[in-house]
Amino acid sequence: MRNVFHEQLDQLNVELIKMGAMCEEAISAATKAYLEGDKELGQRAVTLEQDIDHKERDIESQCMNLLLRQQPVASDLRTVSAAMRMISDMERIGDQASDIAEIARDMKRSSVIQEVPMEAMALAAIKMVTDSVDSFVQGDLELAHSVIVQDDGVDQLFLDIRAKLIHLIAQGKDGELCLDLMMVAKYFERIGDHACNIAQWVEYALTGEYEDD
Amino acid sequence: MAKKIFRSTMAVGLWVLLLSAALFMGMLYQYFTDRFTRELEAEAWLVARGVESMGMDYLDGLQTENRVTWVAEDGTVLYDNMADESSMENHADREEIQEALRSSQGTARRESATLSQLTIYVAHRLEDGTVIRLAGSQSTVMHLLLAMAPPIVLILIVTLLFAAALSSRLTKRLIRPILELDLEHPEESEVYDELSPLLTRIRRQNDTIQEQMDQLRQQRQEFTALTENMSEGFLLLDAKGRVLSYNSGALRLLGAAPPPEEANVLTLDRGDTFQQVVGQALDGRRSQLQMERGGRVIQLLGDPVLRDGQPAGAVLVLLDITEREQGERMRREFTANVSHELKTPLTSISGMAEIMKDGFVKPEDIQGFAADIYKESQRLIRLVEDIIHLSRLDEGGGGLEQQEIDLLDLAHTVEDRLQALASQDQVTLSVEGDHALIRGLPSIVEEMVYNLCDNAIKYNRPEGAVTVRVADGPDAVTLSVEDTGIGIPEEDQERVFERFYRVDKSHSKAIGGTGLGLSIVKHGAALHSARVELDSVSGKGTTVRLIFPREQG
Repeated sequence: MRNVFHEQLDQLNVELIKMGAMCEEAISAATKAYLEGDKELGQRAVTLEQDIDHKERDIESQCMNLLLRQQPVASDLRTVSAAMRMISDMERIGDQASDIAEIARDMKRSSVIQEVPMEAMALAAIKMVTDSVDSFVQGDLELAHSVIVQDDGVDQLFLDIRAKLIHLIAQGKDGELCLDLMMVAKYFERIGDHACNIAQWVEYALTGEYEDD
Repeated sequence: MAKKIFRSTMAVGLWVLLLSAALFMGMLYQYFTDRFTRELEAEAWLVARGVESMGMDYLDGLQTENRVTWVAEDGTVLYDNMADESSMENHADREEIQEALRSSQGTARRESATLSQLTIYVAHRLEDGTVIRLAGSQSTVMHLLLAMAPPIVLILIVTLLFAAALSSRLTKRLIRPILELDLEHPEESEVYDELSPLLTRIRRQNDTIQEQMDQLRQQRQEFTALTENMSEGFLLLDAKGRVLSYNSGALRLLGAAPPPEEANVLTLDRGDTFQQVVGQALDGRRSQLQMERGGRVIQLLGDPVLRDGQPAGAVLVLLDITEREQGERMRREFTANVSHELKTPLTSISGMAEIMKDGFVKPEDIQGFAADIYKESQRLIRLVEDIIHLSRLDEGGGGLEQQEIDLLDLAHTVEDRLQALASQDQVTLSVEGDHALIRGLPSIVEEMVYNLCDNAIKYNRPEGAVTVRVADGPDAVTLSVEDTGIGIPEEDQERVFERFYRVDKSHSKAIGGTGLGLSIVKHGAALHSARVELDSVSGKGTTVRLIFPREQG
């Protein structure tokens, strides 16, 4: 017979998956909004950000409930505490996706956008988020670890874009747009960091060891 | 059960011990009392003899634990070793004294007035008629018994310990056969007869369970075989959205790993569409949505499973509708393209005819106009012919009979037909290679080669060359058309076989053609189970190879 506690843990898992899915959708919507100038998708990323905030609060109170009423121990306690840390990272991913969408909405679209390899960066960040959520869903330690490794790639891409933008500004290209692009790149880089954090929490939940970066 | 048996045997042991101890004590008490009485009697006799011979002196020198009283014949107390005889009342009415007076000796037992405790009295009449009486307290007997108590208690404890050890062993021996019962094969174990009805029952129930398990397993296997063999994905969920059953098709379409036991369905896919369909099905509503996974278009059907009108789970069916979607899209595009392509020449024809009808055209220009109308209508005819060709190919050759075709001869025929066009475009057209026989529909194969060469000439540069090669290989016959033309950019190479697809849309009119040529080639090749290979470098030229595999056997 499954007890209430396990039912609640299952429910928590499902909610986390849903929140992860929302993050993935928000970031891919924001990316499309940036790459294709799709205003509707940009708006979608902004609304999703609010939904993600709500979800975070829901899950947080669920975790509190679990902690106070069921007083979990050992790996169950790790699961709940990792969940609480993960949702704050997911919430940040949602924020950054919405920030990207807002920049994409307001920035001027010019050929400079094509010169910056932002798509590769976006794809790498999206893959990190997807993989980190997958590693949680499947309890896959190896996948979680690969996300942590991928972060270096995203950091490198960020440096490349930064160098490219410096070069463009030196050439006298639109400085305002370049700064916007710099922000977008930074947001993607931060999304990668948060995905990396999520993966670390997954590792912690599975093994009890937290790998500090 | 072991505890109960142990407790019962211990209780029995304890009771038996206590009871026997009590009985034993009672018997001892009786025995000691008798003994004590007899001792008193003996002592009384001795004292009597002593008093008879020595009188009061004997009594004065007498040392005894018992009370000695000398009573005169009339009951007056003459002497008492424990009380003042003068203060004592007359003893004539005492039972033992009366009895002694009557029959020389008397015994009685009662509460002593003087000592106020149960006392045994023994009286003995002397020769002179006086009576010597000895009284001993019953408590002496009790003292004796009490002295016996510690060893008895010790014995009790030892015996109880022994009983405990014994009963624990006994319990184990009783229980062991029951513990060692092989419940899988109850009839094989030899235990108590009393248990055999139970064991028979267990065996019968084992059989029933086995039978039902087999049935279930078979049903499950049938179910799995059924769901595994369908190309559609299939997921069965319980009311909480946990996966009860799935087939490999579902995992393949979703690109998911096999879920662990009782995993929520969202671990397989967490896309928005998927969540919607699952949510609605679990809420008791049917739904049907499309989503894309791994480049495939998947139609998702969610059906609730209702029990007593309440949703008790859901069935999800996943269909791969990529081909259907593509086919539909192509048909839609084809229709749109056909109408457009047909309309363009017709508009020109109609426009020119209108101007001529209204008399705006000078008579000397009419010939030019007529030539244009002729050209456009020729184009229209070609287009319609191509469409007819294509639709015939779509129908699978339209019942035409397959014949032996010599590809080299066929290539020469095409060469003759196109020579004029080639020289007009300043392109050298040549055919080389061996005679090679294939089976096929001559008109269609000729049309295919014609289209390839036509393209090779049209999309060539002046002074260019088109070479048709026929090669007879062991596994296949290959016909290649090589040109030195403008080539096809890499991103378009996939799409040139689509109907009406043009690489350079702006110049298509100048070059002519219907945009259906390569499409006809592709369909014709499919009809002959041939492969079409395209090698092209933008700006350098294109080679198209038709590979007709040799028929097996």
